Amino acid sequence: MDFFDYLREVPSYLSDNWSDLLDLTLEHAQVVLVAMLVATVVGVGLGVVTYRVRSAARVALTVTGTFVTIPSFALFGLFIPILGLGYRPTVVALVMYALLPIVRNTITGLRGVDPAITESALGMGLSRWQRLRRIELPLAWPVIVTGVRVSTMITVGIAAIAAKVNGPGLGGPIFQGLGATGTQRGFNLAFSGTLGVVILALALDTMFLVIARLTTSRGLR
Amino acid sequence: MIDETEATAAVPEQQVMIRLESLTKRYPGQAEPAVDAISMDIPTGEVVVLVGPSGCGKTTTLKMINRIIEPTSGRIILDGDDVTHANADHLRRRIGYVIQQIGLFPHMTIAQNVGLVPGLLGWGRDRVGERVDELLELVGLEPSEYRSRYPKELSGGQRQRVGVARALGGDPPVMLMDEPFGAIDPITRDRLQNEFLRIQADTQKTVVFVTHDIDEAIKMGDRIAILSRQSHIAQYDTPETILTAPADGFVEDFIGSGAALKRLNLTRVRDVELGQWAVAPVDEDRATLRQMLADSNHGSVLLVDDQNRPQRWVTGRDLARASEPVERIGLPATAQVEPHATLRDALDEMVTSTVGCVIVTDSRGAYQGVVDLETVMKAVDEMRTAARTRDRAAAGAGTARVDPDGEAG
Repeated sequence: MDFFDYLREVPSYLSDNWSDLLDLTLEHAQVVLVAMLVATVVGVGLGVVTYRVRSAARVALTVTGTFVTIPSFALFGLFIPILGLGYRPTVVALVMYALLPIVRNTITGLRGVDPAITESALGMGLSRWQRLRRIELPLAWPVIVTGVRVSTMITVGIAAIAAKVNGPGLGGPIFQGLGATGTQRGFNLAFSGTLGVVILALALDTMFLVIARLTTSRGLR
Repeated sequence: MIDETEATAAVPEQQVMIRLESLTKRYPGQAEPAVDAISMDIPTGEVVVLVGPSGCGKTTTLKMINRIIEPTSGRIILDGDDVTHANADHLRRRIGYVIQQIGLFPHMTIAQNVGLVPGLLGWGRDRVGERVDELLELVGLEPSEYRSRYPKELSGGQRQRVGVARALGGDPPVMLMDEPFGAIDPITRDRLQNEFLRIQADTQKTVVFVTHDIDEAIKMGDRIAILSRQSHIAQYDTPETILTAPADGFVEDFIGSGAALKRLNLTRVRDVELGQWAVAPVDEDRATLRQMLADSNHGSVLLVDDQNRPQRWVTGRDLARASEPVERIGLPATAQVEPHATLRDALDEMVTSTVGCVIVTDSRGAYQGVVDLETVMKAVDEMRTAARTRDRAAAGAGTARVDPDGEAG
């Protein structure tokens, strides 16, 4: 049997199991969104704290950059003795992978604010915090949201691997399918899991596009 | 050389809004200070222009007043308070700040930009709204049209109008302006300068204005401080005195040639007696117009609309052409200036005018009178007489600074 023979059987599998797959997709989406929320808060925070000091920014980028280089299998494995199995280690690992694009874009965005704008804000008597909240962050926001979108794409894929540490989501059917390689059932499982991941990734990307549009001032578009 | 005390024009104590005392800025790793102990008094309600070649430290001096640049030593006294070490944010809210690059906040509407400082000062929503409308009107932008626009939807000139309105937001007693019209095309710059002078006549702020353009300094300043390297004051005086009695060779070089023509910058159209030419409503009949021309010493009649705004110049030859309706004959009434324009502006416009005179209109565009060559010559004559009287008085008091060779005395 070749790939296309297997593929022909998939639609009937999907129509029989769509409700289970939908549950898994929602689980997957939930863990990704929680991780993204945490990563956005932490990542933007790190960017804000470090963007004005070159050396601090470099440390933040190097550390979060190092996280990305750790193979995801290994990272999940390393967490077992510390965080055990399941939901918690999944979220922590996903946050670590999501940080780099968010931190980097926050720093880039904040540094990209026109110095004339910063100077006039300073000259008008806005305090450090007011400048950040009312001027710099809103101006850097489109760049920051782009970072969050990139991170989300990365995280949706990596979240599938969390099934190895009993994590939630679409990794379950994918790994079951890989365990049954060469059978129609195995193909069905792996294919439907992958399909779910791809569709979820596209849906979340669209969602962030809409969010970016709604939260970016009309004056910046 | 002139020492500091002599260069600083004496100002009565209670009228000093800003006093700089030996204000110095030294950057680490640089042998010489960028600003070396500048001391000056800036009188309340006046426009003081800091002018000098690039790199003379004029901008650094300006930015030390609101402490965008922190002084290394010296003191800043604002309205009697030593603010050298006061809370910088609170200080800055009392000082309007306009920069060449404008720096409007692109993510905020015009109303939000202008209303920001009043908001920070804790004014209520309604009061901020009223203030925004008032300021937009002041700078000539119709509030209902511009309030909810974004900066990118405005032209460069309109943006700087908003920049000025924003700086006036919290009604600060002091305005600092760093080459505010430097990046704007000459025609718009001229208009903005005139409008700023009109606004200043109403608001009476204490303004410190930085420029490298001596013509702008003469036009804008009640007093001018000509700065040489490290913000040393070469001369601090009224434009008239600087033009008629430059303190030294540096000032003379900086003023450049054409000082006589520049003096025309010192007289404003509103200060001279306007000429009156024949004026008629656009719907006047031809016979009356012909009669008016016959009675007038001038070759043209000015037609105005129902709000007294100049429309067209009409000559006898235009009237002779039968068929056209009156409102379409003749030439459009170009070459108009407002009363705060200088005679130099008026002369410029006059050269381009078809009838050899400039129409003076008020801020709503209504006809006030005309300036013709006769008016200008009369003004030049008066200035010359005034300068001669002043020079004689100064020579009598023994304080003349210039000897016949033009060297500092």
